Formats: sequence, structure tokens, C-alpha cells
Amino acid sequence: MPTAIDVRHGSTADWLRHITSLPGVPGHEHAAAPEIARVFGQFADRVTRDPIGNVYGWIDGTGETPRPRALLAAHMDRIGFLVKRIEKGGFLRVTSVGGFDPRTLPGKEVMVHSKPPMPALFGTKPPHLQARGESEKVVPLHELYLDTGRPEAEVRRRVPIGTMVTLRQPPVDLLNGRIASPGMDDRAGVVVVIRTLELLRDRRPEWDVVGVATIEEEFGTVFLGARTATERVDPRLGIAIDVSHGDMLGAREADTIPLGGGPGLTVGSNVHPRVFEGLRATARSLKIPYHVEAYPASSGTDAMDIQIAREGIPTAVLGIPCRYMHSGVETVEPRDVDACARLLAGYVAGLASDWSVTEVLK
Amino acid sequence: MSANGARGAAPAFREDFLESLSNAAGVSGDEHRVREIVAAAVRDRVDTLEVDAMGSLVARIGVEGAGVRNGNARTNGSARKGRLPHVMLCAHMDEVGFMITAIEKEGRLRFRRAGGIDPRVLVGQVFRVGGAGVRGVTGILPPHLVSHTEEDKVIAADDLYIDIGASSREDAMRHVAIGDTAVFDTTYEAWGSVRKGKAFDDRAGCAVLASLVQERPPVPVTAVWSVQEEVGLRGATAAARRVAPDLAIVLEGTASGETPGAGPEESAPRMGGGPTLTVHDRSLMADARLVDLLRRTAAERRIPTQWKRPGIGGTDAGRIALSGAGVPSAVVSVPCRYIHAPAAYLDVRDARRTVELVWHALRAIGKEWSES
Amino acid sequence: MSPASLKSAAALDSLLQPLLAAYGPPGRESAVRSVLRRLLRGAGTWEEDAIGNLHLHRAGEGPRLLLAAHMDAPGIIVTRLDGETGQARLSILGGRRPAELVGAPLRFEDGRAAIVSWDRKEGADPEMDQLLVETGVGRAAGRRATRANGSRPLDVGDVAAIDDRPARLGDYWCSANLDDRAGCAALVHALTRARRVRYDVHAVFTAQSDLGARGATTGTFGIDPEMAVVVDVAHLGEPKETSGFSLGKGPCVTLKEQGFLAHPEMLERVRKAARAARVPLQYLIREGEGSDARAVRAARSGVPTAVIAIPARRTGGVGSLVHATDLEQTAALIAAILEGAGGAAGERSKSKRTKTKARAGAGRTKRGGRT
Repeated sequence: MPTAIDVRHGSTADWLRHITSLPGVPGHEHAAAPEIARVFGQFADRVTRDPIGNVYGWIDGTGETPRPRALLAAHMDRIGFLVKRIEKGGFLRVTSVGGFDPRTLPGKEVMVHSKPPMPALFGTKPPHLQARGESEKVVPLHELYLDTGRPEAEVRRRVPIGTMVTLRQPPVDLLNGRIASPGMDDRAGVVVVIRTLELLRDRRPEWDVVGVATIEEEFGTVFLGARTATERVDPRLGIAIDVSHGDMLGAREADTIPLGGGPGLTVGSNVHPRVFEGLRATARSLKIPYHVEAYPASSGTDAMDIQIAREGIPTAVLGIPCRYMHSGVETVEPRDVDACARLLAGYVAGLASDWSVTEVLK
Repeated sequence: MSANGARGAAPAFREDFLESLSNAAGVSGDEHRVREIVAAAVRDRVDTLEVDAMGSLVARIGVEGAGVRNGNARTNGSARKGRLPHVMLCAHMDEVGFMITAIEKEGRLRFRRAGGIDPRVLVGQVFRVGGAGVRGVTGILPPHLVSHTEEDKVIAADDLYIDIGASSREDAMRHVAIGDTAVFDTTYEAWGSVRKGKAFDDRAGCAVLASLVQERPPVPVTAVWSVQEEVGLRGATAAARRVAPDLAIVLEGTASGETPGAGPEESAPRMGGGPTLTVHDRSLMADARLVDLLRRTAAERRIPTQWKRPGIGGTDAGRIALSGAGVPSAVVSVPCRYIHAPAAYLDVRDARRTVELVWHALRAIGKEWSES
Repeated sequence: MSPASLKSAAALDSLLQPLLAAYGPPGRESAVRSVLRRLLRGAGTWEEDAIGNLHLHRAGEGPRLLLAAHMDAPGIIVTRLDGETGQARLSILGGRRPAELVGAPLRFEDGRAAIVSWDRKEGADPEMDQLLVETGVGRAAGRRATRANGSRPLDVGDVAAIDDRPARLGDYWCSANLDDRAGCAALVHALTRARRVRYDVHAVFTAQSDLGARGATTGTFGIDPEMAVVVDVAHLGEPKETSGFSLGKGPCVTLKEQGFLAHPEMLERVRKAARAARVPLQYLIREGEGSDARAVRAARSGVPTAVIAIPARRTGGVGSLVHATDLEQTAALIAAILEGAGGAAGERSKSKRTKTKARAGAGRTKRGGRT
């Protein structure tokens, strides 16, 4: 029977600010992994990393061995760029890793993660110098450029091709506790995993639970971290925690869930009905508000690759409401992050060791 | 800060002025916070200090007969023989920004732009709203929810809104009001000789001017920190009538020309290339004699200068030049990258050189203009 | 050039010619397999798997390393016939643009020759459905066909390769099949030259790479390597956002391509080996094009992978150009990696590996592959 577990609200906002501040674009998650591993280590029984780069925080269960494992996945990569060329004048051209709307980029400040890091910004033409009608055209990424302000020789010396670049926007405190920052997708999910490990350490489940900060969810067509972590862990259940579209003007109600309304529970082919039912029942009994999100085909999350790895894994998706995804001002409520952690911990803590979804009919 | 006026050397450029001015919010029509910073910086250095009817800050140093002078006194712009010419130095305090026009039921803020801002820099941006600097963000629908035809369209400023995290109109109105102004939430920073901040157009000019008056200039100077330049060169129009100078030099932050792959000629004026002199822009044919004096002064002092690309933009000098019976005017600018965008760059050496150039030009004006 | 490198260059040339000339469109790589078996006779134990990958195992101490290069080169497949005229419509197998194939000589598996013609309509660029296979063998001729001259009419589903005449032009090799026969040649050369190999080496010459890294997917699963290096060819300037690199300035190591981002430790291994072998290295970022690496790195619990790409330039027709020195340096780089110059060759990766049989399509790993 799931029990209500209390979570201190104030510190979740601090976690969000801290964890979103770490760089780490796809392929460069090692920039964030050590700190995430350290933080996991504050709550997990042990922390490991695999050769591909995933970070695992293990909580040992109380059941008899061999114990079934629950895998909780949040991706630690965040969208960003790589330097691909240095032009005359010391300007940088970049390629994106992860999907950016180039309309969000002109004028934005970034950090170029050379050693030591260099601030820069996406250059723009002032209206005085523009041709008629120019401001009505979207500038594609390959026509944008970064300016560090430094001389070309210095840039060439200090910035190797392939250097990671991230949006540089400190977290913004809005009303009602809301926080806007780049990287909420999916560092907010990582914070959910951290809080869940914290709760489960105190309230031990029967199952083993492993929280995974996965790599490369935002890049390519394969969720590489989720796929390889599932191969490695061989879980009996996998839950992906990612951001969901929060309510925004111009978005259809069908596509969003409200900020402050608690986690989104996805229903659809990527979610096993029994896991969905279990999460919903837990939410109701713990009086955690939630909204149902309907995705008949792809959920667009790590759960897609968890589900088909090995011999197939029952999966679910938990969504944190987030406005303005893939911009520099992704906005979430710490209250929703806490609600997700309480729901996850409550659900997993209530799983019996013999829980299984496969059936032998004869 | 050295007291070097006595030896004839120019005062130092005060970077602390630039920092506090850049960080301050002062959208056209709402410049008072900027004015307070300038007033505090110059009060002890000037003879008189006033705020005029439109809000411009007017300081007089060594100008005998302070007070209103009546319109058209002289032709040719030359001083009466034996008198030193009265020079107006002007920089504008206002920055391009926004004003809140509506607060919707759900707590979203609608806004209008004040001054020329490319709508493409407004998306996914952070703002400070009102006197308290309440933070808000312009959201955009994420790429996942946007159709292919939509993602090729620039979003018009009228279709954007600022989200301060309010849950309703009532909630929002506890923190902001219709009519509040908003600015880009950019913080001043320095690395190497680069300075990054918002509103260098024209806080760079304001800082240069405030630095210049830290010493007594070699000629009578009325320093004007004007208002509402970005919405039509308005404050200077009124101020010039009141000041009725013999000559005017406007101090600006102007657009530099660098783009990736451009060679040195195409990049001019460039950041780090020195103060930029205007020959011609859309508001003004700079007074040729004054421009020539500036150029010669720069050569004598070995200050590198550049030409602003002709025919682009306009400044307060356009209005000052046409004031009364006419005032020979020129513009000296600090070249900046990315003006009218959330964050701009300038080279602090250019700012120092601008102070030096104008200072020594004033001395040359004192010599040459009196004798005409 | 030193006598040693002259010898080495000549050896590479003698590897390249038969590889370039071999018939091997995607799914029909047997002739390439024959050439490879011959060139690497005695180098280890051979296996061929269900999809057609050719797998050479050179047993050794050290971590299990996968080296991959793909055997298939683009070709065409007959889709519709006009039996009277001996013409047929085609579909392109692999990533070539229709414009590049206009006038291309073709060879079918049984040796029949043909040519690609363009049924030109309005418009500057040929579309794939405007291309025709011309054999000159209509039904009438076919009835008179003899086995000697191989004049048999086409059938739907017949697959042709580009009939390549590799040519050496100054410093360049010019050939249609450089992608990725040049990679195969570099790999063969490295395997034969490397002394004191520090790995348990599994060289896989993959099939059907041009159809979406298919061979690499199953091949890697079967081997379950601890790390991998993929050798491929990268064309300059396409698409136009590709980072700038040049011919004759050394091999590229790939930072980003479709489905692949460089693994930081493998990238460092390649860099160290390049320094040790005194091979200059360029960087490759390309959009919309990839290699077998996207499948190799995603296999099983994931494989730290590097991609070394030989720079090439298209001529606009069937041929591409590769600089001979880049090819030699690529081989030297791979040999250096094999000899442990990438550093820490003796170091196993952090995970405890389970032993798997190196057989493609084999079952699963044992449970307990946890760190």
C-alpha cells in the first residue's frame, strides 16, 4: 500500500537551479556526469558509470535475491551546439546537437566551453543595416554565427573544432515559484530521479531501484543511453521521466498539461496498461494531482527504446509540465517536480517482488 | 581617477559609469533611473544641473549667463570675436525597449516596442518589467507543436507575450501595470578589452560624456543627456533650442560592420578600430569643418579613427543641426556590435579614445573657432 | 618518400585495384568477399554471417576491438522493363544522385554490360525515374543469345554495379567505388602491417551499409565488442554545411554525423595514435550523412566508437577522388591504433564483460552484465 512521503519544497528549486546549470550536450554528457554522479551518491547505495556514459544510482531492495529491478530514466543531455568552423574575423559557425528552433537564437548569449570557457552571443544585424523585408525572414542556423568579441588569433588558439556550446541564461525566478532556465529538458527529470532516490532510501522497496541519468536522448533516432542502459540493467520495469508540454497560448489543450497540475501520465502504445493503472491508483491514493496525456504512437521519450530493448520491458512515461520547451526559457514549477518524485517513490515502493506482466497461458 | 585637467590631459574614461548605466532600465519616455545615475555622477563637477520639461538632464560648465537664451543669435556658427565658442555635447539616455499594453485574463502581458527592434530577437528572451524589474519570458511554441509551414515564419511582436509566471490577471496586477516599461534582462560583463551589456546605444555615449565633465573642459560646455532619441530624436530637438550652442558634438554608440568572412574594409567601422566619425547619415550632413578638426586632432594625438558608413541611421545631431538658425554639428561614436539587440559588445579602448579625442578636439575648437 | 613507404604505397595500390574493381552493390557483396579473403589469407579465422558480413578474427590479448569498413558500393536495381528495346527503368541502391549516374557504365553480376542513359525532359537535373538502363539486348537479340557473349535480356530485380575503371591521376585515385573500398583497403593494409597487436581484433567487412547500416547492426551484436573503430569515406562539401576539410591533409576523425557523436575517450585514442604515427588529423562534422558507426555504437550495451573518414571529392559524375597520401596515412593510423599507440590498449573498459560467442545472429548475453 503506497504511503504518503513528505518532501521539502524549498530545496527542489535549488536542485533545479543547480542541475540545470551543468553543461552537457549530446556526446558531451561527461561535462555533467561527475556532478550528477556525486549527487546521486548522496542518496544511492552505490553509483556506477558505464563506458558509454550513463550514470546509475542503485538502491538495494529488501526482497530476497534475485530481486527484480526497476529502471527510472531521465536524460542528462541537453540541447546545444558544437563549433564547426572558425571564420575570418574570429566568428564561429556551429552545428546543433538536439533540435533547436533557430527563431529562438538571434541575440542570445551562449557559453563556449573551451578551456577556460568563453562567453559569446549570436550576432544580429541592427535594423539600420537591414534591407527591406529582411526582418521577416527566419535566419537558419547555418547562417547564424557566434561572436566572442575576441581577436581571431585568440579564438583559433583556444577553441578547437567540436567544442561544446550551450545557452547561457541563469535561472529566472518568476511568480508562483516558477523557474525558467535552459536545460529543464530534462534536468528537471534528473531532479525527479534524485528526489525519488532520496525518498526510497528512507522507505526501502522490495525491488532494487536504479535511477539512470541517460545520454543522447536529444540526438539521433535511437535513444542511445536508454537502449544501452536497459541492456545492461535488465530491468523488469522501466519508467522514463521527461518534460511534457505545459499550457501555452496557441497550443491546443490536447497537446499540453497545466503547470502546477502535477505529473502527466502517458497512455498509449509505449506505456504498459498495468503500469499506467498502477501509477494512476498511486496518485489517487496519495492525493497527487495528475493529468493524462494521450500518445497512441511515439511518446518521444527514452521509454521508446527501453520498451523494445532486450526481450521487451513494460514501460511508462511520467511528464513534468514545462512551457517553452527547447528555448532558453523552459519554465517549470518545483511543486510539479516534487509531485512526480512522490508518485514514483510511492508506486515503486508498493511493487511486490513477484510483479510481472508476462503471462504463461499453457 | 586622476586629476589631470590641470596638465591639459583628458580625463579618464569611467568604466563604472558604463556598467551602472548599461544595467539601468530607461526606455524612451521612462529615463529617470538613468538620469539619477548620471546626475549623481556629475553633480559635483558642474556649475548648474537641471532637468528640462521633457526630462533631459542639462549641465553647464563655464557657460556664462546661464539660463534660457533666445533663439537665433548668430550666423555661421562662429563665436563672437574674443569669446570662446559654446559647445553642446549630447548623448541620449533612452534605450530601445518595450511597454506593457495589456494584461490578459490568464496573466499574460502584451507589449509594444519603443524604438527599432528586430522582432526576431524577441523570442525566448528574458525581460525586466517595471520599476521593480519583475522578470518575465517571451515564450514560443516548441518545435514539436509547430507545423512545417509555421516554423519558417517570423513571429510578429504583436503575437508574442511576456510570461511572468502569474496565474491570473489579478495575480499579475499585484506586480506589474499597463504602461510599465520593460527592458532586456542583460547584465554587464567584461573580458579582455571587450565589454558586454545592453543599451550601449547610447549608454556608451552617456558614460563618455559623464567622464568628460569630470574635469573642467577647455571651452564652455553644456552637456545634455537627452531623452526620447530612439522614438524620433525628440529630447534633443527641444534641448537644442534651449541651449542654443555655437557648435555641437553628439556622442553615440553606433553599429559596427563586422560579419563573418568579411574583410577589413567591409567590416568598417569595427570594434577596436577607434572612435567613429560621421560624415553623412540619414539625419545629417556633418559640418565639414568640424569633421576636419576632429580628424586632424585624432591624427595629431595618434588616435585611430574610422568613418561611419555613410547614409545609415540618424542621431540627435540631425535635430540639433537644424535648431534655431542652425548649429554646426558632428557625431563621434563608439563602435558597438549588436546594438538594438539584447546584448552588445564594445571595446573599452574605443571608449577611452573617444574621451581623449573629444577632449582634445574641444581645445582645438577653443583655438580655431574663436579666431574665425 | 623512404623506401619503406614506397613499398608500403605500392602495396596499398595493389590492394586497392582489385577492391575497387570488384562487383559489390548492396546485398550482392560476394565478389568483394572473395577478394578480401584472398588479400587477407592466413591473417586469422574467417566467418560469414547471415546478412553477408565477412568477419575476420585475429585473436589476441587485450580488449575486444571491432574494426569495420563496408564492402558495398552503390549500384542500381532494375524496376521496369521494356523488353523490345532492351531498356529498363531503375532504382538507385545506395546514396548517389541521379545526375552522377548519367552515362555511367554498368556491370551485372554475370558480367553483362550496360550503360545509364537519361530520358531528358524539361528541367536541368535528371530525376531518378528519367534514368534508363541500356543493354542493347531486346527480345529479338535475346533469342539469338549465346552464353559466350552473355547477351541475355534484363529481368526486373537484376542488380548492377558501376563498372569502375579505377585510374591513378597524379596524387589522386579516381574511381566510383572509393566509398568504402578505400576504407577496406586501408583496413587490410593495417592488418597486414601491424606488429604486436594489442587487441583481440574482430575486423568486419560489412554488407548493406548503404541501405542503412544493416550489416553493422547484426555484425556488432554478434561480436559484442568493447570498443570499435569504423573506417569510411567522407565527401567534401556535401551537404554544404559540412565542416571544411581538404584532400591531402590527412584522414578525418568524425565529431558528428548522422546518428553518431564522437565518444570522448575513443576520440582521444585516435588523436594519440595519430600523434604517435605522425599522421595529421582533420575533423569532420557532417549533417544528413552517416556511416556504420550509428549502428555499431548502439549495439547491445553500447560500444564506444570512433570513425576515421578518408577525405574525398566528387567529380559530379560517377567518379570520386581520394588523395593517395590520405589513404596511406589512414592505414598507418589504424596500424598505430592496433599497436596500442592510442594509449592504454591493455586497459579494459570499466564494465565487467561477459564472454559471448563471436557468431553473428547468436543469442543473448548471459544475465548479469552489470557494472
